[in-house]
Amino acid sequence: MDAIATQGLTKHYGSSRRWRAGSGRPGPIRALDDLTLAVHPGEIFGFLGPNGAGKSTAIRLLLGFIHPTAGRAEVLGLDVATAGAVLRGRIGYLPGGIALYDGLTGTQLLDYLAAFYARPPVLRGGLVEQLGLSARDLGRPIRDYSRGMRQKIGIVQALQHDPELAILDEPSEGLDPLMQRAFYAILDERKAAGRTVFFSSHVLSEVERVCDRVGIVRAGRLVALERVGELVARRRRHVEVRLSAPAPALTAAITALVGVSALEVREDRLAFGLDGDVTRLLHLLEGAPVADLTIEPARLEDAFLELYDETAP
Amino acid sequence: MSAVLFRRTWAAQRVRLSFVLLALVAWGFLLPVIYATFGKEMGALARSGTFANMFDLMSRFTGGDVFSIRGTVALGLVHPIALALVTIQVVGFAAAAVAGERQRGTLEVLLARPLERRVLHATLLVATLLFAALTEAAVLGGIVAGAVLFGVAGDLAAGDIALCWLNGVALFGTLGAISLAASVSFDRLGPALGIALGVTLIGYTIEFVGTLWPDAAWLRPISPFRYFQPTRILAGASEPADLLVLGGIFAAAVGWAAWEFPRRDLAAPS
Repeated sequence: MDAIATQGLTKHYGSSRRWRAGSGRPGPIRALDDLTLAVHPGEIFGFLGPNGAGKSTAIRLLLGFIHPTAGRAEVLGLDVATAGAVLRGRIGYLPGGIALYDGLTGTQLLDYLAAFYARPPVLRGGLVEQLGLSARDLGRPIRDYSRGMRQKIGIVQALQHDPELAILDEPSEGLDPLMQRAFYAILDERKAAGRTVFFSSHVLSEVERVCDRVGIVRAGRLVALERVGELVARRRRHVEVRLSAPAPALTAAITALVGVSALEVREDRLAFGLDGDVTRLLHLLEGAPVADLTIEPARLEDAFLELYDETAP
Repeated sequence: MSAVLFRRTWAAQRVRLSFVLLALVAWGFLLPVIYATFGKEMGALARSGTFANMFDLMSRFTGGDVFSIRGTVALGLVHPIALALVTIQVVGFAAAAVAGERQRGTLEVLLARPLERRVLHATLLVATLLFAALTEAAVLGGIVAGAVLFGVAGDLAAGDIALCWLNGVALFGTLGAISLAASVSFDRLGPALGIALGVTLIGYTIEFVGTLWPDAAWLRPISPFRYFQPTRILAGASEPADLLVLGGIFAAAVGWAAWEFPRRDLAAPS
């Protein structure tokens, strides 16, 4: 059983029945189109896309805040459309840009939100400690909290009852680098405990560091769904070879190498992009007059940007 | 119903509720004091002929006066001061209960818990009815306390007082249910509050105009205030139909909210 399984999940806003081409009326907004994906139990899944790509729409569909135009979603084996409260009792959710009850203290808020669950908030103590929230902080009204403090409280409220699935929308927003590191450690612990984490982000370095697999959405459509390592390995690296002597044969061989693009040849320097495996390039360089070699590691960011470029209309 | 949400709602409302209840008790207490102190003289003045028409008009509109203890009870309940205070607590609370949370962005934090939307609505409806019951009880409690302390409670029957309370709870419970239905139907507080106050103020205006201007009397049945008649109850002529009509409007408002709220899309707060 997958932690999350969607089949053709679609959400359009505005009536398509009333819309006519050339009528001057805006057509229906396709917030999410035919999303089919599966998130496996115990994995950390990153859901990527720029603002307006459909990430939050997908999350809101999974939580039952909005209803699909077409398709269906199962979370923890339960149909989102019918399971409702039973399902949300097994999930922890951190909304993007979380709004909290400003009149309550941190402790009052956590107590209030935890009281709805059958599970006790067994993880609260550890989370509070890891995120550096002191008893004094928790005793202050939330209206006095900084943005980072609010985000920390948001993370604690989402995870304190040890949910089977955590759905986190832009979770590290507002956290300083130290707290981001503490948050990544928390995610690692969740994974080690066999819990599933589904989180949306546009901080690609964070996703690359934390996630097992990613789904990338663009204009409401899923354009990639694979393991982070595989996605990155297939992407273009930037390679620069500095030569200690002219080597026209090497230049010709590199030009002919599959996956090489944008080759620039200067006096003692070759620069090019390389898609895929680097092993063939390393074989070519064996015995060549190479003074220096730089292969910039492929990053998820590059993969993301290339994917967006490839799928641009 | 969710006990957790109910406790939180109570805690969030208790300060405002306390002030409103105190004000209503004080208002209610004041009226028998006026009646005991000046009632007979004012009654004689009203009947003297000089101001007879004006007093007649006033008592026809409000249905109350301070020339008798029954008129005093009715005045305490139907006077704009009492109605405004109860409206602030009951209608104001209900209109903001969901739309306000939605506008602040806290509704999605709440609905991410194992809490069905229907349960959320039912809990807020119970809180609305409780506030209506407490505020009406506060006015009547103040009136009865004043009447007993000043020795003018002799003509009051406990059954009539209870019926007046029930009629008041029915009126404001209905206005609260309409306000709550508006609250679950909008993403922003403005439209929900506009509808809630619109129904209340327009209903009150129609009753006001209809009672003073015979040509507009045909409008009165569309006002919820038409079915709030403490004067008739205290005169021993209560009409169960009033409660039935208010109950019908209440049921329609609750039915709408129970149908609409679970089906609504709650898009991301802007």
